[in-house]
Amino acid sequence: MSNDPQTPPSATSRPDGMDSGSQALAETLRGSFAIVKVVMVVLVAVFLFSGIFTVNPQEKAIKLRFGKPVGEGEKALLGAGAHWAWPYPIDEVKKIPIAEIQRITSTVGWYATTPEMELAGTEPPAGASLNPAVDGYLLTADGNIVHARATLSYRIEEPVRYVFEFVNASNAVQNALNNALLHSAARFTADDLLLNDALAFQDAVRRRVAQLVQEQRLGVAVDLCVVQGRPPRQLKQAFDNVVTAGLGRSKALNEARSYESQVINKAGAQAVAVVNTAEADRTRLVQDVTSDAENFRRLLPKYVANPDLFVQQRLVETMARVFTNAQDKMFLPTSADGRPLELRLLLNREPPKRKTEGPGP
Amino acid sequence: MKRNLLTLIVGALLILIFALLLFTFQVRTSEVAVVTTFGQTTSEISEPRAFPFFKWPWPVQKVYKLDKRIQNFEDKFTETLTADNNNLLTTVYVGWRITDAKTFFPKFAGGSVAAAERMLEGIVSQAKTAIIGKHPLSDFVNAQEKELKFDAIESEIKAIAQAQLLVNNCGIQIEFLGIKKLGLPESVTQNVFDRMSAERKRLADDLQSQGEAEAQKIRSAADRKAAEMISSADGEARQIRGRGEAVAAEVLPVFQQNPELANFLLRREALEESLKERTTLIFDTRTPPFDLFSGVTTNRPAK
Repeated sequence: MSNDPQTPPSATSRPDGMDSGSQALAETLRGSFAIVKVVMVVLVAVFLFSGIFTVNPQEKAIKLRFGKPVGEGEKALLGAGAHWAWPYPIDEVKKIPIAEIQRITSTVGWYATTPEMELAGTEPPAGASLNPAVDGYLLTADGNIVHARATLSYRIEEPVRYVFEFVNASNAVQNALNNALLHSAARFTADDLLLNDALAFQDAVRRRVAQLVQEQRLGVAVDLCVVQGRPPRQLKQAFDNVVTAGLGRSKALNEARSYESQVINKAGAQAVAVVNTAEADRTRLVQDVTSDAENFRRLLPKYVANPDLFVQQRLVETMARVFTNAQDKMFLPTSADGRPLELRLLLNREPPKRKTEGPGP
Repeated sequence: MKRNLLTLIVGALLILIFALLLFTFQVRTSEVAVVTTFGQTTSEISEPRAFPFFKWPWPVQKVYKLDKRIQNFEDKFTETLTADNNNLLTTVYVGWRITDAKTFFPKFAGGSVAAAERMLEGIVSQAKTAIIGKHPLSDFVNAQEKELKFDAIESEIKAIAQAQLLVNNCGIQIEFLGIKKLGLPESVTQNVFDRMSAERKRLADDLQSQGEAEAQKIRSAADRKAAEMISSADGEARQIRGRGEAVAAEVLPVFQQNPELANFLLRREALEESLKERTTLIFDTRTPPFDLFSGVTTNRPAK
C-alpha cells in the first residue's frame, strides 16, 4: 500500500523522455521504471497470494464475502488444510478455534481451590464461614449450603450463529450452566441433591442448560453434563457421622437378621425332633401294647391251668434276671432268735455325685 | 507496445485496488456500520450485501463499525434485601446487543461498549434491588416447584431493565438475563452451618435409634416365631401320642379277660424295669428264692 503512491509520478514522467538534453535522464528513468514495474508485478502477486490461508486441525474457518458468510450452516465451515480467498476488500476469513467437543466447567458453586490442590487431592483449610467473594456455593431448597460443580460438553451445531451472533458464545454457555446449577439447586433439598437423588439433580441441571441454550439460541447442542456435589468442608464430620450411623444401622439389622435365621432354624430343627420323638413314642407304645396283648393271649391258657405255679415260676425267673443285673447283692441271714437283724443305712450326703447308694451293714 | 499494455493493466489494477480501499467499505454480518458526514451521523448499515458500500473518503465521511453481536455482561456481586428482610447476594449475567446504532453511537462516546456497560450496570442494579425487594427468600429457593419463582424473578428484572433502557433511549436491547450466583452474607453462612450440623446430628441419632428398634423388632419376632414353631410341634406331638394311646386303648379289652394275670405281668415288668442297673439289693432269707438258705449254716463257706 505504501508503494502505491509511487505509481502516478512514474506514469507521468514517461512522455517527457523525447527531450534530447534529458536523454540521460530518460535512460535513468527507464531503468527505474523497470524496477517500478517489477515492484508492481510483485505487489499484484503478493496481493493474490495473500489470499492463501491454512486451517489447522483444531480449528475451522468461515469465509465472508463482502461481510456475508459463504455457504449455509455446515457448508460454511472450511476444514483443515489450505484454502484461498480474495484479499480483504472482497473476502475475509474468520477462524474459529474449536475442537469437535467443547468443554466448560462451572465453579460458581465450588469453594476456592487451585488446579495444583485439585491434582494433589488436597483442599484449602475450612474456615468457620464462607466468604461469598471467594468461595462459591449453592443455596438449596431447604435454605442449606452445598457445593456443586458441573462440567458440560457441547457441540457447536450452528457455527455461523455461534461466531456471528455472540461476542463470546462459550461465555454465554458457561453462564447458562452457572444459572442451571443455581436454578436446579433451588429446587432440591440438600439431602436429595447430595445423597438421595444426585442423578436427578444432574439431570435437572442438564435439562435446564439445554433449555437455556435453546431459548438463547446459542447454536450449540448439549452432549454431556456431569455434576459433582459435596457437603461444605465445614460439615464433613457431621455428614460422615450420618454415614457411619447409617452403616451402624445396617450392621445392627444384619446382626438381627442372622440371629433371626439362627433362632428359626434351631426352632425348626427342635420342632421336627419333637414331632419325630412323638412319632417314635407312638409307634413304640402301639407296638408294646400289641406285643403285650399278644404275650397275654399266649400266657392266658397256661395261667388258667394253674395260676399259683405259673406265678411262682415266672416270679423266680424274674428274680433270677433281676439278681443278675443288680450290682451289689446282700444277703442277711435271720438271727438265731428268729428276730430280724437291725439294719442301718447311711445315705451319702451328696447323692447326685455318687450314683450308687452307699450300703451300710 | 505490448509491454506498455501490461504495465497499464497492472497499473490500472493497483489504482482500482487503491480506490476500492479509499471509496468503499464492507459490513460484516456481525457488524453494524455508522457513517458520519463531517461529524454528523448520517446513515446506519446493518446488513451486508453482495457488493461493497460507497463512501466519500476522509475527511468527508467516516465509517465506524460497531459489533452488533450479543455481548456478555455480568454485574458485581451485590447485597440486596429481600421482602422478608434476608440479605441476599446476587450476580446476574446479561446478554445484550446494539439494536439501534444511530442512537447508540452518539450516546456513548464513539460507540464505546465499556461506557454502555457502565450504564447497563446501573440500570440492572436498580432493577435487581426493586425486584428482589418484592420477593421473599422462599421465592428463590423452594422444594415446591410451583412456589419457586426463579424464572419469574429473572424475567421481571429483565423487563424492568429493558424498560429503563427504552426510557433512556440507548439503542440497546437485552436478549437474556439470568442469575449467575446467589449467596448469603458471610456471617449468615455460619448460622446455616450450625443449623445443618444440628440437622445432621438429628439424622444420625435417628438412624441409630431406628436401627436399634428395627433390630429389636426382628429379634423379638424371631423369638416369637420360634416359640410358636416349638409349641405347635409340641401340640402335634401330643396329638400323635394321643393317637397312639387311642390305638393302645383299643387293645385293652384283651387284658380284661383276666385282670389278675394282666396285673401280675405288669408288676413283674415294672419290677424288672426298676431294678435294671446300679442297684443294691438287700434280702433276708425269707424272700424266695433265698429261703433255700434258711437251713444252711452260714459260718461255713458255701462252696
